[in-house]
Amino acid sequence: MHEVNFLPPFPLFAANMMLVGVVLLCGLAAGHVFARYLRLPRITGFVAAGVILGPGMLNLLDRPTLSELSIFVDFSLGLILFELGRRLDLRWLARDGWLLASGLAECLLSFVLVYGMLRFFEVAPVYAATAAAIAMSTSPAVLLMIVHDQRAKGALTERMLTLTGLNNVLAFMAVTLLFGFVHLEYQANWWRALQPLYLIAGSVALGYLAFVVGRWLARWFGKREDIQFIMLLGLIVATVGLALSYKFSVVLSLLAFGVFAKNLDSKHDLMAVEFGPGGQLFLVVLFVITGAGLQLPELAVAGVLGLVFVLARLAGKVAGLAIFAPMSGLTQKKSALLGVGMMPMSAIAVVMVQGASQLYPEYGAKLSSIVLSAVVILEVAGPLSTQWALKTAGETDPAAEERQ
Amino acid sequence: MTLEFSRSNPLTVGIELELMILSTHDWDLMRGAADLLALIEKSAHPGDIKPEITESMIEISTAVHTNHREMLAELSAMRDTVIRTAQRLNLAIAGGGGHPFQHWSEQRIFPKERFYHLHEMYGYLAKQFTVFGQHIHIGVPSGDDAIYLAHMMARYIPHFIALSASSPFSQGMDTDFDSSRLNNINAFPLSGTMPFVRDWQEFNSYFDTMRGLQVVETMKDFYWDIRPKPEFGTIEIRVCDTPLTVEKAAVLGAYAQTLARHLMLDRPREPSQDVYRVYSFNRFTACRYGMQAGFIDAYARNRRLLKEDIAETLAVLAPHCAALDTRGALAEIGANLENGQNDSGWLRDTFRQTKSLSDVVRLQSRLWAGEQRAGPAR
Repeated sequence: MHEVNFLPPFPLFAANMMLVGVVLLCGLAAGHVFARYLRLPRITGFVAAGVILGPGMLNLLDRPTLSELSIFVDFSLGLILFELGRRLDLRWLARDGWLLASGLAECLLSFVLVYGMLRFFEVAPVYAATAAAIAMSTSPAVLLMIVHDQRAKGALTERMLTLTGLNNVLAFMAVTLLFGFVHLEYQANWWRALQPLYLIAGSVALGYLAFVVGRWLARWFGKREDIQFIMLLGLIVATVGLALSYKFSVVLSLLAFGVFAKNLDSKHDLMAVEFGPGGQLFLVVLFVITGAGLQLPELAVAGVLGLVFVLARLAGKVAGLAIFAPMSGLTQKKSALLGVGMMPMSAIAVVMVQGASQLYPEYGAKLSSIVLSAVVILEVAGPLSTQWALKTAGETDPAAEERQ
Repeated sequence: MTLEFSRSNPLTVGIELELMILSTHDWDLMRGAADLLALIEKSAHPGDIKPEITESMIEISTAVHTNHREMLAELSAMRDTVIRTAQRLNLAIAGGGGHPFQHWSEQRIFPKERFYHLHEMYGYLAKQFTVFGQHIHIGVPSGDDAIYLAHMMARYIPHFIALSASSPFSQGMDTDFDSSRLNNINAFPLSGTMPFVRDWQEFNSYFDTMRGLQVVETMKDFYWDIRPKPEFGTIEIRVCDTPLTVEKAAVLGAYAQTLARHLMLDRPREPSQDVYRVYSFNRFTACRYGMQAGFIDAYARNRRLLKEDIAETLAVLAPHCAALDTRGALAEIGANLENGQNDSGWLRDTFRQTKSLSDVVRLQSRLWAGEQRAGPAR
């Protein structure tokens, strides 16, 4: 028999490239099914597609593939955190003390309640504290996606994004500082305790550098939205790459970049660019991969703790905001809804857990059983509650829903 | 049923201004009227603050004034209240006749029965009505006087258009018009001018006919450039774009007031249909070219520059300034004539310098807040 050498060798050479396409298409299809037939947020569909494709079920996205695709996760997160940082208006927080107070109260109460409940269930202090610190953060990806899908605008939407910016900064700082204690717990060399300092200072400095370069380039290019769009994408990719190679935090670096761009750009050289359909593409991939990373069977064990975590966190957010947000001028009704709207927790929590696992696998495993079971619950409950809160507050566009 | 014309003190002035509510993130229009109004209601404030047809608009209206300085003081106080409240919601406020780059389809009707009804009736025109005007009320002693003054004012409508024009950009483009806003109003079937009736009685029979035919229900349904407002005992001039500053809004009020005094006391001419024959053309030219427009004088039957006609009018009004204390205000109009600049000019200059419409809106909102002096700078 002759060798038919124009036919491709198996396994297929370009399999990974193909997989990215498959991830995207499956995510889209599942999102469509969820939105149109189940009337659930598209995001939950993306995550479900990930779970089905992932190691737990079809294993089309196996562990090695997932780690190869992690560059997409980093870039997508970078894009979102930059966008979120640009929503964190420090002048507004400085002007309205009650707004800042409501943000701090929301974080503090979520932390205290989650820590208290986990301790009650006899989780060791260091895990309970790290999990509680992660609990402070809200998923900006879920929020931005739903705000975009529902074309939401209004006082609740504005506050939700600003306070999410704040709680991500606080959560990230708290988790990183807690790593210091973990180093002591595991009796590492004293200089390892400097790691949080290196991470935070390095990430913020990198974010600042990106901002300075961006502002300089923007001045040179001028006010051209098409050019500034590509310039920002380029800067975000480069910053993500630098953060990875210097072992800084992608999350914090890009968040800092965004915050500097919003608050230090006194001459308004940088334009408010909409990432639009291109940004959406990365979000879909991000959610599918996040879904694939969740291992459902293992998580069933920690299910009760996950549920406790979710409820305590929700209670903290709702209580903190219902008490303090009205004093900053939000109506009573919207203040109560604000905490519900800030329920989602997703990829960033996963990334923070992974950060822990990279330091000490054993510590990471214990932490992930608690946090990731909560993430599973919140991948379904979070988008739903945000969508419900925005609709009930009357800030969504009815036309946007008909379109789906 | 006849419309009862309330007596009001002659030559008093009231001003209504429609304002834009802006996002401080991208400087697009923001649906914030409901949140803003809920917060404003909690505090005592002068004047009246109300919603308008879409959710990114708000309307402020002053009390009745006889004095220009008091009018300006009230307008400034209301402006400050609205800005202070808006800041708590991280919103910004600006003047200007139209938002330069909003998309009409993204606007949402303010939840109120009357506005829903208008949307149902007018379809997309209702959302395109997201434009921002200044309405000037002038008190008149009787219905007959209202009809006379409205007809006499018609000749001067191009003055008000050119002096107030502040909507050169629309849907992200330069329209080449100084006031593009009035083009949005022209689309409505009941826009235009009051019919050539002689007195209040004749007006009433016209109104009864239109109501009998179910064309209108109330006077509010007429979108005329000048209309009598019997409940207030005023005539209402509705062609002005909301200026970029409260100072300019007060100056326009003072100009209308002084002009009304001249027309009512001197009775220089009789109402003439000729004015209405050239009305649409004069109105268009003023919208298109602003301070550089031409003008057809229906009484003199000649063409001249609009600027010349305003300058001549200012000279005629001079003797009336003392009685109303409006000399300072009219001097500002004189200054506008000299530099040939209105607010549309400022907006275009600002765009030329910043090359970004969102920067224009940002600076426009600073100008409205009184933090930025006229003459664009970064």
